[in-house]
Formats: sequence, structure tokens, C-alpha cells
Amino acid sequence: MITLLRIAVRNLLQHRKRTLLLGAAIAMVTLLLVLLSALLNGMQATMLKTATTLMSGHVNVAGFYKVTSGMAAPVVTDYAKIKEIVKKETPGLQSVVLRGRGWGKLVSDVSSQQSAVTGIDIAEEKNFREVVQVAHGSVEGLKNPHTILIFQSVADRLEVKVGDRLTITSQTFRGASNTVDVEIVAIAKDLGMFSSFSSYVPQDTIRDLYLLDKSTTGAIQIYLKDADQAEAVAVRLETVLAKHGYRMMDRLAEPFFRKFDMVKREDWTGQKIDVTTWIDEMMFMRWVLIVMRALIGILVSVLLVIIVIGVMNTLWMAIRERTREIGTLRAIGMDRRVVLQMFVLEAGVLAVTATAVGVALSVVLIAGMNAAHLPVSKGFQMFLMSDTLHLIVDVPTAVRSLLIISVVTTLGSLQPAWRAARMQPVTAMHAN
Amino acid sequence: MKFGWRAGLAAWAIAMPGTAWADAPVEAEEKPAVEAARPLDAAGALALVRQIDDRQRNSGDYKTQVYIERKERSKNDVVFEAVVYRRDADDKLMILFSAPKAEKGKGYLRIEKNLWMYDPTVGKWERRTERERIGGTDSRRADFDESRLAEEYGIEYNGLEKLGKFDVHKLTLSARKGVDVAYPKLVLWASTASGNVLKRQEYAASGKLMRTTYTPKWAKKFSQSKGSDVWTPKEIRIFDEVEKGNSTIILLKEQDLRSLPANLFTKAWLEAQSR
Repeated sequence: MITLLRIAVRNLLQHRKRTLLLGAAIAMVTLLLVLLSALLNGMQATMLKTATTLMSGHVNVAGFYKVTSGMAAPVVTDYAKIKEIVKKETPGLQSVVLRGRGWGKLVSDVSSQQSAVTGIDIAEEKNFREVVQVAHGSVEGLKNPHTILIFQSVADRLEVKVGDRLTITSQTFRGASNTVDVEIVAIAKDLGMFSSFSSYVPQDTIRDLYLLDKSTTGAIQIYLKDADQAEAVAVRLETVLAKHGYRMMDRLAEPFFRKFDMVKREDWTGQKIDVTTWIDEMMFMRWVLIVMRALIGILVSVLLVIIVIGVMNTLWMAIRERTREIGTLRAIGMDRRVVLQMFVLEAGVLAVTATAVGVALSVVLIAGMNAAHLPVSKGFQMFLMSDTLHLIVDVPTAVRSLLIISVVTTLGSLQPAWRAARMQPVTAMHAN
Repeated sequence: MKFGWRAGLAAWAIAMPGTAWADAPVEAEEKPAVEAARPLDAAGALALVRQIDDRQRNSGDYKTQVYIERKERSKNDVVFEAVVYRRDADDKLMILFSAPKAEKGKGYLRIEKNLWMYDPTVGKWERRTERERIGGTDSRRADFDESRLAEEYGIEYNGLEKLGKFDVHKLTLSARKGVDVAYPKLVLWASTASGNVLKRQEYAASGKLMRTTYTPKWAKKFSQSKGSDVWTPKEIRIFDEVEKGNSTIILLKEQDLRSLPANLFTKAWLEAQSR
């Protein structure tokens, strides 16, 4: 085997130009595959962190309160008891934050726009400070009552700056018009499509807007040490809360704001609890990732097919050039199996070396791209929910890329190698 | 008491003799009081509000063509055209839009305290809040529905005032506990001569002034089902007090108090109009 390996390496070195060209192509495909996987990983991680900080927890304990069957308020009453149960019964718990849920019209002196108005307690929001990049003002201002954080695109539309005042108008959950006047304390950099319809106010401001008392909140957002455990935790909490006597809503993989009509149609009053995961709340994100994965899969498949055809073609050429050599080897006693092994090994050595170079190059390139904090276009920001590109190479992905390309390329050499092995020594030795 | 330019505009519109409501013999013209009006006590104020409700209430059916002009700052003006149908005896209300093109066939239907909206583009009914802005304008269901002020609000009399050349009673109305209304507080200026509400201000729960509404033109028609006159506004001017510059003008024309078909207040009937 060592001899065969040596022959394979020597053959590759002897046909340096061909080896370099094919090796470069394999390395480029590997680089592209690792790069695209890193982009997808980076996007997923960025979207997950941003979205789960701004819009949802890994798991959410929320629900609706209905004063009458036709009115539905996204409110959890007497939340302190539920929060205690959640803290006690959630395995792998990292943190719990409360969020008020509202929707209103932000009115400035010159313009207005509809916006989701989320109530937060900024003192408890460590992740929020990391994700939201404040361009003007400070998030600390949200410690004061009747203040607001808006995003740059909203500020531009409303033609306002830090220190200006806005009026939020909405209807209470009983349908009465209400308003709160708020001072803009922070304007944050845009975070994709989410930014254009979101704003943050202190929890009490949401309560004032909807005339709610202090025992209410919109959602208890749960953050886990391992986000992949969200589904298992959600199922567990549903069971536990039901055992504590809470009425539970049927599980539905939809964001809460799409459940209003359904809840209003249902003939019940009082409180019902709805446990969701971040995937339920952000179905659009899941679809973006599925589409991205599909596109990358198609692209890589096409590239792999091209590479396999290239490898086969190159080996055909090698066999044609080395027909006499094959005939001689067969004449001096090398059997067909060894000829086959020799050509497959040659392709294998080339594939492993080139993919390893490709992986190494991609790691260096990705490190450079991350260090450069590459800005992304406004259109891409819509989905990414970040203004810079962040790529993540994980070892399993890199190893998987290396293995897939090496194996596929090596398998591509089987047919030409088999043809070479089947040659009759006499015929091969007589070839020109 | 100071009045801004809008009050002036409304007062001017009210004061103009022989304007729109003089074009039909059944319609009544708002006239300044001949005799000096007297302030009202609590019972008198309640009686006045009951009179306001009663004069607009028609125990039978009601149909009117409405034109709603929406003006919003930095947006083009939009004119909506709709027909409002009411059956006060059963608390039924229907609003069917015929213009602009994008709104054609869209409708609101109130059945048993539930307000439903139908969108023919998706063929779906959605349950909406009673306090919903109709067609995205500043108008609300209550603007087209029968008046229930005495039922929904507690009344406080504030005294006599002048609104342009008219003597008016000023009243502050606060929503009764447990009653769901769009505006928890109203201030009304009702003509001492006719009892018609000429100006109305609506406040949010926070106490912020949300809308000022002028009703300079009223029409009076004899209702056979009621056996007496019914008063309905011919023109409503709504000014958004939060988004200054936004306003809505509602013109109510071809008001008809004759009986409507029995099957009219149904989802099927409304859906059929857009087929």
C-alpha cells in the first residue's frame, strides 16, 4: 500500500500542471462550501441571538386574557407566581425576563407610524444591551418612566432626535382610546426589518398605555444555556403549568400577534397560558434559513458535480497518456485490483490534500472577514437583523466538508480507474 | 372661553343661512335662540342628553349614502364612499364601501354587539373592536350608529357658552363604570335652541384630547316607525388633535327612513354585494 501511495504521489508530482489545476478547483469548491456553511452558521447564530433577545425568549410563557369572549389581550395576570414556577421547573435555565406586549401609533410633531411597543425592564436586560447598538443617547434612559428607544429608520421617518417627545396612541384592551407621552432617550442602529416597526419602553409605560396593574406582564421570556433544548423545556413547562391549575392554549407554531383572531373567535373568558419556543414565534426566520440551506445545498451539489466530471476527465486523460505504462505494469504481473487501487489512490491523495488546503484557506479568509466587520446591504440586513456580517466555522462542518468532497472526488475516479484496470496488457503496450 | 380657527370655521358653517340643509323641505335649519337660554340643573342636563339620543334614534330602519374624505399630513387625500344601513330596534348596523376601488365591497357588520369586517379580496370575515377606526379614517362605528350618550355616560353640566353666534349648553360626559366606549370622556356643546350637538371633544383615558368634531348641519325627517321626527347629522367634520393636520369630513346624503329588506343585516347579503 505504501508503494502504491508513493507511486500515486509521484504521478501527481510528475503531472504538476494538471495536478495543480485540479487541486485548485477542488480547494476552491471546498473553500466555497466551508464559506457558505460558515455564512449560514453565522446568519443562524446572529438571527437567533438578535431575534431571541429582541422579540422572543428561547421559550416564552405568555397567553391571552379575555374580559369578554370577543376581546383578547396579550397579557399574563399575576405573573409572579408563574415566574416562580418557571424558575423552579426549567432545566438549564440561564435567565428570565419580562416583556410587555403592545401595538400603537407613534406620533411626532410632523409624522406618525404604527409600531410594536415592547415593555422592558432595562436593569434586567443584559443581552439587550449587547445586541442593540445605540447610535444616539443611552439605553440607561429607559430606567426612567415614560421614555422610549426607537431605531434609526423610525427616527428618520418621524423626523425626531434624542430628547424629543412622542405620543403613543393605542386602545386599551377594553377598546378605550389612550395615550402616553414619552421622551426619546435612545436611537439604536437598525437591525433589519424588525427595526422598522419596533420600539421599547419601560414596563410601566406599557401598563399605563393599556391601563394594566403591576401584577401583569405580556410574556415571561426564558433563556436557556442550550437553545436546542427549547422544545423539550416548552413541553415540560406546559405539563407543569397545567398541573398547577393553569388553563393552557393548544400549541400552535405561530407568533402571538397572529393568534388574536383565533383567540377572539373562541368562546372563553379569563386567562389562558400559551407556551411557545423561539421557532414558533419566528416562523419567518425558520423559512429564511430553510431557503438559505436549500440554495446552498443546490449550489454545492452543482459544484460537486462539476468537480467530479473534472476529476473523471482528468483521470481519463491520465489513463490515455499512461496506457503503455499500464500495459507494462500489467505485463510484469500487477493485477487489475492493484491498478484500480493505484488510480483511485491517486485521486484520493489529490482530493484529501486539496480539500485540506481549501479548509485551511477558508478558515484564514473567514477570520479576515470577521476581523474586517464587513457591512451588509440594507436588503440583506432585513433578514440578517445585523448591520455586519459574522461567519462561524465550526469543526464538524469543516470536517464534514473535507470528507464529503474527498469521498465524492475519489468516487468520481472509480470508473476511469476501473477502465484502466480492465485493459489487456498486449493492447495497452501496443497503444501510441 | 377662547375658540380656535376650527371653532370659527364650524361657527361660520353653522351661521351660514340657507346652506345645504335648506335644500329640502323636510330638513331643519339651525337658528340662533330667540330667547335667552337658562342654565340647566342636573336633571335638565340629563334630560337634554336623553333628548339628544332620542332625537337621533329611529326605532325603524335607516339608510344613508356617506362620503368620507380623509386628509392626512404627507399623504394624498382619499375619498371613501359607502352606504350605512341601520336597524335600531335590533341594534344592527352595516357599512358597505363602494369607493375607492381598493375598498369596494369591503364592509362592516354589527350583529349582537360584535363588529365584523369583511374583506372581499381575501373573502374572509374578521371580528373587530367596536371602537375600530372605520376604513382607517378618523371616523368610528359610533359616528354612524345611533346615539347612546345617556346610557353610556354620566353627565356633568358646565354652563352656558357662546359658540359663534349660537348659545350652547356645555356638558362633560364621563363613561359609566363597566361600559366600553372609545372615548372615556366627552365634552359636548349643544345648541340651546335645537338641542343639536354642534361641537364635541373626545378625550383618551389619559385625559389627552383626541378628536374635535363639528356637526354644523343637521337634517330632520319624519319617521313613520317612530311616529315623530328623527334628527341626523348631514355633515361631520372630525379634527385629529393628536396628529395635527389630519382630518376627516363625513357627508351623509340621501337619508332614508323606509323599511329595509329583512335579510339585509347578514354576512351572506354583504358578501353577495362584492360578487
